[in-house]
This record gives sequence, structure tokens and C-alpha cells, in this order.
Amino acid sequence: MTPTSEDDRLLIEAAQADPARFVEIYERYVDRIYAFVSRRADSRAAAEDITSHVFEQALATIGRFEWRGRPVSVWLFRVASNALADHWRERARNADEPPPDVPDPREFEDIERRLALYQEVERLPEVQRQVIRMRFVEEKSIREVAAALNRSEGAVKQLQLRALDRLRKNMGGHG
Amino acid sequence: MAERPLTDRLDETVDAILRRGDATGALRDPELAPLARVAADLRHYPSPDFKARLRAQLERKLTMTTVSMTPAVREGFTTVTPYIRVAQEGLADFLTQVFDAQETFSGGGGGGGMHREVRIGDSMLMIGEGGAGAGGVMPVRPVAFHVFVKDVDATFERAVAAGAEPIGKPEDRHYGERSGFVRDRFGNHWYIATALGPQSLASALRTVTPALHVERAEEYVEFLKRALGAVDEMRAVGPAGELRYGRLRIGDAAIELSGEGAPMPGSFMLYVADPDALYHQAMAAGATSIMPLGDQPYGRVGGVQDVAGNQWFFSRPASPSS
Repeated sequence: MTPTSEDDRLLIEAAQADPARFVEIYERYVDRIYAFVSRRADSRAAAEDITSHVFEQALATIGRFEWRGRPVSVWLFRVASNALADHWRERARNADEPPPDVPDPREFEDIERRLALYQEVERLPEVQRQVIRMRFVEEKSIREVAAALNRSEGAVKQLQLRALDRLRKNMGGHG
Repeated sequence: MAERPLTDRLDETVDAILRRGDATGALRDPELAPLARVAADLRHYPSPDFKARLRAQLERKLTMTTVSMTPAVREGFTTVTPYIRVAQEGLADFLTQVFDAQETFSGGGGGGGMHREVRIGDSMLMIGEGGAGAGGVMPVRPVAFHVFVKDVDATFERAVAAGAEPIGKPEDRHYGERSGFVRDRFGNHWYIATALGPQSLASALRTVTPALHVERAEEYVEFLKRALGAVDEMRAVGPAGELRYGRLRIGDAAIELSGEGAPMPGSFMLYVADPDALYHQAMAAGATSIMPLGDQPYGRVGGVQDVAGNQWFFSRPASPSS
């Protein structure tokens, strides 16, 4: 699942020769970077903004990226760390309060766990996945989800429980 | 608590996580706790729409980036180099005295005056003294800069001793630097700073970074993104949502924007592989031409002026290290 060093080298060289190939770097790493950023961002909107910034910045500087045998993810995590630090500096400027510590990208285990969880959501039965997306992404209430799916509130609560329990089990009894 | 159905207890926990990011109440309930941990990890589960939007956004930028910002920088320079026009000589000496600037080039300028290039730390500045300035299109006017130094107090004192007027004594600022501000005798502002901690901007900036004071800074950021492919890196807004501070990256250089104070437009040289493409991109974004594209002994160059009065000259050096 984790790209090899050789994969990364080829991907970088391809994107440097033809920037259109940058999209492949994006597809390979967007979930991982988002998982990292969302641990430290204070809202979904901030996590999305920062993730967007990471890939825009990576695109802007890929021409000067020098391959030194380290995974592309290390470079992207560094860009993400800087963007998070900027985000908290902005908050500090706006609120006159000091930012929290700049996050450290050595949190791979947790990031990989979140990434695996996101992938498990994609494997849920369709209706359970819909419930998870409506509850967690769209932040709909149980009543709103029930209306959207034309089911009772009790049935939606059951689906939510089954979905989370299935995710827990598929994640190796996590928790 | 345990007598209520698990589905209800779980739903309340999901609500608490979504509203407050808080699942601590659930951790005391052994049946609920493992599910609450999964739910907490899903709090920012990525939206499929977001990923699709970002991909589309990147694909749009890819076209622009490909044509415009491939670097073709002169050795020792970054993509953006400020060009300060002054009526008389003396600025290079001031920079040497205060910031230990090293002059790397001096010679006759195209407009009849002197053209000088100086290095301060890792940054280059161009100075035009006297003459008409880039064929008469570049006005004499002051510019503002953010400069990082080892000892702001000592540098501030040297600046004042060299004839600069203090406009803000060195103080510890809440954004992670100790800084003092001076105006040199040509009117240029120098925001002299020493980093105080990890929240300082120093790590994202070079020794000298141009600080553009502009009106309607929010709109101007959007213009720079369209015109120059600038990447919006950081912004701080005021109580009414107005942009007070912004940092943008153009190629491998940063510029700072301030929506505060009187406008102080400047002139900038951009070294790029395809000046024609960037010139036309800037024009399409609303800039006006002040120097049609042409081949000069030092390379191909063209210039535009934008709505804020800033001038951007796009150049490809005659050879990679010229």
C-alpha cells in the first residue's frame, strides 16, 4: 500500500518532465496528507484549505524538487507542517494568542490508521456508507439523514451503530 | 446511563464529537468507548466532493504553471527581485552600512543612470540611481521591505545613525519577532526583525522580502494569483474580514502584502523561462503594458503595471548564468 522509493522517484521524474503527471502524485497522497492535516487542524474547512495549499505548493515547486531517496510523502508532510504552522500563526495574529506547537510529521502510525479507516469506510455496504458520509461529512442530524434515506430515525441509528461497529472490527478491534 | 439503548448513547456521542470534538464522556462507558474512538477518527473524514474539487483546481493550475513559472533564474537570484529607483546615489552605501550589503554589480543603466545590484544575506536587490529608469517607465518611489537580521536593536541603531528616521522602535511582537521600523532618506521603509520563536515568519522568508502596501488587499491577492500564478500562503484578517497581512509565493520567492498604511507600490524583476507567456497572462488578468516584449542585450524582457501601481518586468536571462 505504501509506495516504494523507486515508485516515488519515477513519479517525481515523470511530473517534472510533464507537469500533467502531477495529478498522479495528488491521487497517491491526498488521503494521507489530509489524514495528517486533519489531526491538527481545528475544523474541516481548515483541514481542506491546508490540504489544498499543500498540493498547490507542491505543484509550484516540483520543478526544483531534488530526489534524494526519501519518500515523496516526507516532502509533502514538511510542506503540510509549514502550512499548519502558518495556519496557527494566522490564528495567533488574529486572536493575539500564541499558537500551539508546530506538529511533527513523525506521527505516521496514527496517519496510516486513519487512512486505513477512510478506506474501510469505502468498503462499507452502500447504505451504511451513506449514513457515515451524511453524519460525518455533511454533519446532518439523524432526523435529516432519516428523511434523506426515507427511513425511520431508529433505523438510521441502527445503521450508524452497525457501520461504526463494522469499522471497529475491520480495523482489528481498534479501541 | 447503561439502561438507555446503545444506539441512542452512540448518537449523542457522535453529536458531541461533531459539535465540540469531544468524546471524553463516552470513554467511561466500556460498551461505547471503542465505537466513540472510531467516530472521533471519522470527525474529519474527507469529503469526496472536496477531493474532486481540489483535483480539478490543480488541473486548472497545471496549465498556468506549465506556461508561466518554470524558473529561469539568474545565478544567485530568486524569481522576484525588487528594483528600487532613487533620484541620487547613496542607497547602496546605506544598505552596506546598516545591513552589511555586498555590491555585486554596478554599471550604466538603460535609462542613463547607474544600475547597481546588491546582496543582503540570501537576497538580491537592484537599485537604479538617477537617469530615466527602464526607458522612462519606472518611477522614483519608495518601497517597503521586511528584513531579518541577527540583532534588531543593533541594526536599528545603525540605521538611525546612518540617517534613517525611526517609525517604530524595536519591540517584541506577538507574531514571533522583535522588530523595529525605519524610513531611509529616500523614503523606503525597512521593517527590521529578529525571529523570537517558532511562530516567527523567518523560516518562510528570505533575508529581505518586499512588503507591498496595497488597498483592497483581498482583491489584489486574487489578481496576483491570476496574473502571476502566485500561491496564497498565509493571511491574517481584521475584525471586519479585511486582509491585514498576506504572504504569497511567486516561483521560489515570497512577497508580503499589507492592507494597512498608505499604498507603496514598487517595481519588480521576475526571472522566468517564458516571459512572453507570463506577460500575456498578466495582461489577460487586467494589467496594462508599460514595456512591450523585446530582446535586450541582457535577455528578453517585457513589463506591465497592475491596478495597485506595482510594476512587474518579466525577463529571461540571455544565458542561464548571465
